[in-house]
Amino acid sequence: MTELLLIYAIIPLIKIGAIVLILSGAIAYLTLLERKLIAHIQVRLGPMRVGWHGLLQPIADGLKFILKEDIVPSKADSLIFTIAPMISLIPAFVVFAVVPFGPPEMFAGVLHTILSWFLEPSSVDTVIKSSIASGGFVTDINIAVLFVLSVSSVGILGVILGGWASNSKYPLLGALRSSAQMVSYEVALGFSIISVLLYAGSLSLVEIVQQQQTAGVWYIFYQPVAFFLFLVCGLAETNRLPFDLPEAETELVGGFHTEYSGFRFSLFFLAEYANMITVSAIGVTLFLGGWLPPFPNVAWLDFLGILPSVVWFLVKVFLILYLFIWIRGTLPRFRFDQLMSYGWKVLLPMALGHLIVYAAIKAMWETL
Amino acid sequence: MNFLKRIFLVDILKGMAVTFRYTYKSVYTEQYPKEKPKLAGRYKGAPRLNNDPETGETLCIACDLCAEICPENLIVVGSQRDPESRKKVLTHYTFDTSRCLFCGLCQEVCPTNAVELTQDFELATYSRKSMVWDRKRLEKGWDRIEFGKNYHK
Repeated sequence: MTELLLIYAIIPLIKIGAIVLILSGAIAYLTLLERKLIAHIQVRLGPMRVGWHGLLQPIADGLKFILKEDIVPSKADSLIFTIAPMISLIPAFVVFAVVPFGPPEMFAGVLHTILSWFLEPSSVDTVIKSSIASGGFVTDINIAVLFVLSVSSVGILGVILGGWASNSKYPLLGALRSSAQMVSYEVALGFSIISVLLYAGSLSLVEIVQQQQTAGVWYIFYQPVAFFLFLVCGLAETNRLPFDLPEAETELVGGFHTEYSGFRFSLFFLAEYANMITVSAIGVTLFLGGWLPPFPNVAWLDFLGILPSVVWFLVKVFLILYLFIWIRGTLPRFRFDQLMSYGWKVLLPMALGHLIVYAAIKAMWETL
Repeated sequence: MNFLKRIFLVDILKGMAVTFRYTYKSVYTEQYPKEKPKLAGRYKGAPRLNNDPETGETLCIACDLCAEICPENLIVVGSQRDPESRKKVLTHYTFDTSRCLFCGLCQEVCPTNAVELTQDFELATYSRKSMVWDRKRLEKGWDRIEFGKNYHK
């Protein structure tokens, strides 16, 4: 009984708490990273006043958001207006339930030492054997990729509802744009993921990483085009800069969050950055070998295994986030018709063609 | 060729290379109120009326040359003849910084180096009246609000 309680309640709750805390911190400091990096791209310094080189700036910003007056416009649909930011934020966190940060036996050693103090050796073993308890993830479900796709699509509902409930023209236009954008880029994103699934033969993210370990290389080396598609669609899904039409300041004031202020605005803001981290984490898991070091099966590269697996995962996520911000500092915004035609006329045929070619190669490889 | 360029995103990659190079360049902006910018050696700013460092008496002999040469006629020198020593003694001296064009002719023409344009460039005030500097302010300097030190703490 204690074992079951440990495996299915206590340890997962601790992990969830840790992930929520770490993720919130990561989101906060991602905003600082973005501001600093964009500033340095523009040969400025960025935030410098709060703390050493502005290191406490996210905390100051958060406090400011909390202390602001909570305004709901009188013509707005107050219930939906209140719920929308939460609908936007929560899925971004929920996705991390299936993202693997480390191998299935990651916490086995730690758990063994801690549990041996007050449990019998046999029950310690049963706890450790369960991957839910000792794995570097909250759960490992066999439809993880579908789960990620569906849950992250719920997040866009928050944007649409927020734009609708504001009862104002600019937010509505922003919401319309974002829904159109999501529909057109979700398809290509799905296809780029499918070509990974062809090779991995599984929908579980843990299994996909383990397949990359047996294959000996990350899937980006098999499918660079799919990775490119994933990155572009990921940028579009998270409303990042070349595709940030839903909140294009120059055209739509603030887009869907024009009427939002204070804490509710900060929820939308957090959701955007959480989505960025989510997309990077999923991209790392699918294409960059998750927690694996580069070329996991090459013998003379074994020294790379000295670093813990989580570090490899975090480094890769950081690099992709850096790339996202770097792209934001470089590229101008698309026009809306360019965005649509790029999505439907370039990305979708590319993704389809890529999938067909890779499926054919795979089929030929197996029959020959 | 053009097609290949578009396929492999050559232009975007070039742009990203540019931004990457700029990311690690040294910055142009200054932390202004915290750190004062470096001025050129011959920069001319706020005026000052120098005292003799040994005696503490003013160096100005009230010769009126600065007031004569000033293209804006913004210097007013008031003097009185001392009945005993038969010397001109400075009574008041005003310098209107609102009209000054910082040409530096006054400090060049001054025979005793009494009037001098310093490197202080923070001349903003809250009223037009206070832009006219009197003798006291010209000699002692200006007790302005120091934004740099405590403003951001």
